[in-house]
Amino acid sequence: MQSFVCITGATGGLGKAFAVECANRGWNLFITDISEPALVRLADGLQTAYGIKVLYFPCDLTDADSRARLIEEMSGRKICLDGLINVAGLDFEGDFFDRTKEQIRTLIRLNVEANLEITHELLKLRNSEKTFRIINVASLAAFYPMPVKAMYSASKRFLLNFSIALREELRPMNCTVTVLCPAGMPTNEKCIRSIDAQGFAGRITTKNVGYVAACTIDASLKGKTVCIPGLTNKIVRFAGSLVPSSLVSQLIGARWKEAHRKSFQGNKPVLRTDN
Amino acid sequence: MSRKYNISDMTIVVTGATSGIGFAAARQLALKGAFVIGVGRNEEKCSEAIQKISEESPGARIRYIMADLSSLRQVRDLSARIRSVAAETGNDRIDVLVNNAGAFSNWYISTEEGFELQFTVNHLAPFLLTHELLPLLKNSEAGKVITVSSGSHYRTRIRWNDILMRKRYNCLLAYKQTKLANVLFTTELNRRLGPSSNIRAFAFDPGLVNTDIGLKGTAGIAKWIWQLRKNKGRSPDIPASEIVWLIENVDTPQSNEVYWKGCEPKAPSRYSRREDAAVRLWEISEKMCGVKWFSG
Ligand SMILES: NC(=O)c1ccc[n+]([C@@H]2O[C@H](COP(=O)([O-])OP(=O)(O)OC[C@H]3O[C@@H](n4cnc5c(N)ncnc54)[C@H](OP(=O)(O)O)[C@@H]3O)[C@@H](O)[C@H]2O)c1
Repeated sequence: MQSFVCITGATGGLGKAFAVECANRGWNLFITDISEPALVRLADGLQTAYGIKVLYFPCDLTDADSRARLIEEMSGRKICLDGLINVAGLDFEGDFFDRTKEQIRTLIRLNVEANLEITHELLKLRNSEKTFRIINVASLAAFYPMPVKAMYSASKRFLLNFSIALREELRPMNCTVTVLCPAGMPTNEKCIRSIDAQGFAGRITTKNVGYVAACTIDASLKGKTVCIPGLTNKIVRFAGSLVPSSLVSQLIGARWKEAHRKSFQGNKPVLRTDN
Repeated sequence: MSRKYNISDMTIVVTGATSGIGFAAARQLALKGAFVIGVGRNEEKCSEAIQKISEESPGARIRYIMADLSSLRQVRDLSARIRSVAAETGNDRIDVLVNNAGAFSNWYISTEEGFELQFTVNHLAPFLLTHELLPLLKNSEAGKVITVSSGSHYRTRIRWNDILMRKRYNCLLAYKQTKLANVLFTTELNRRLGPSSNIRAFAFDPGLVNTDIGLKGTAGIAKWIWQLRKNKGRSPDIPASEIVWLIENVDTPQSNEVYWKGCEPKAPSRYSRREDAAVRLWEISEKMCGVKWFSG
């Protein structure tokens, strides 16, 4: 029977990198994201270049009805899954008090609600003959409370804790959960602007997406819990664990506020997807 | 030396014709009376280019078409549009294709089809565009495919295990690899066309040129280095005039020289002359572009 790896947020930078990495390993894909034309292009590209089978279905993951349609489509087609990579996620940078109600809801819906629901539903479609691999994308931001990214870093902390606990629950079911905690990755011009604004600190913690995707899949196949690509990032994470979190939070706050000012210079906050 | 070919009778496609070497070449070719089809990715820059050239020479025959060459889908659309614009001359013909557009990126950027940006713009796009325009080039008396390579192609190789450099991306190595790919593509194209073909492919080395290529996909230190380095470069008008010279003077199909710099043939790197590498790259590129050359 044909089985697939499902990737959400597949047409974004990190999502595409995961898709290419899987395709390169010869795995068939089921990809989803908001834009259908973007899905079609990626699916075509992967099918011609890697000779794998790619199915797609557009879905707005912040919308419960849209999610229901995706699940229905997948179960209706009796899709059998070997893995699930939850990449979709977003960030509204800037002070919490400046966010709209709509933005608050969207962030929680996508980063938390959608991730949990998709994981819950797609577990039912797993191929029971093999180890089922789940990868969740958190962030290095999950390790610290981060001012200016308060909601985002907290939502990623949620995913981090959830993933580690879920992994234990699913162990008897022959499933693994790996949570990726990458630093900022330059995947589009907006991110590049933002990373550049962080100056040297932004650049040394930055790893390219292709490398991150490859490392994460390797980590998942080995059944690792947390994947932090890059040595500098591991050190940053370790150093963070030695200092009280309120202090870390103040330090990071100062750095981010500065970066934020440089990058946006009074502009309205820009939506930055993780992927 | 007297000119062998008359540019004013020609239809010439130049990609990346909105700045740097490409713009300078489009301008010079148009001033010499060629029908120039420029390709750019930015609408404003395209109109600006047309305006500049027309101001200088109101009779210039010049058209611009927009396409983002990082998208293979757009490359395919582009070739269809070139075909219809070229037909305005009453001939189904292109005499010269100058694959000049090039990009540099500090970071790994995936294209919409899931490939890496530099590899796509610098290598796959010219590969596919040449494939799509070959029927038009065949209708020329002496068709030329000129791909702008670079001295960066020396001292490097193709990373067969990870040709998109997904795992160990290094912007400079990735760039060097694409410029080597330009030479391998050129030699293999000539080999496949055979000695009796009316089409000849050339790789052109412009030397160090004062353009903004190193400022576009970069930031921080890399940007600063290019800012300093580019000032040592030649004006883009010089390599552009060398491209014009190549079009006017180099014999097709007699010439066996593949790599040209400063109006003279030069030996490309030893790696770029390896037939096995050229064939292997060709096959990978065919697969990525979803095309098959010379089948039947
Ligand atoms: N400068 C040098 O020292 C040097 C040395 C050796 C070889 N070269 C080669 O010379 C060629 C021309 O470079 P240049 O120095 O003249 O640089 P440039 O001024 O940046 O010109 C590059 C051209 O390519 C276009 N382009 C870039 N990405 C594109 C995309 N995705 N889709 C469509 N068009 C795209 C640019 O459009 P925009 O105008 O919109 O940016 C521009 O017209 C390149 O192939 C480069 O590798 C340059």
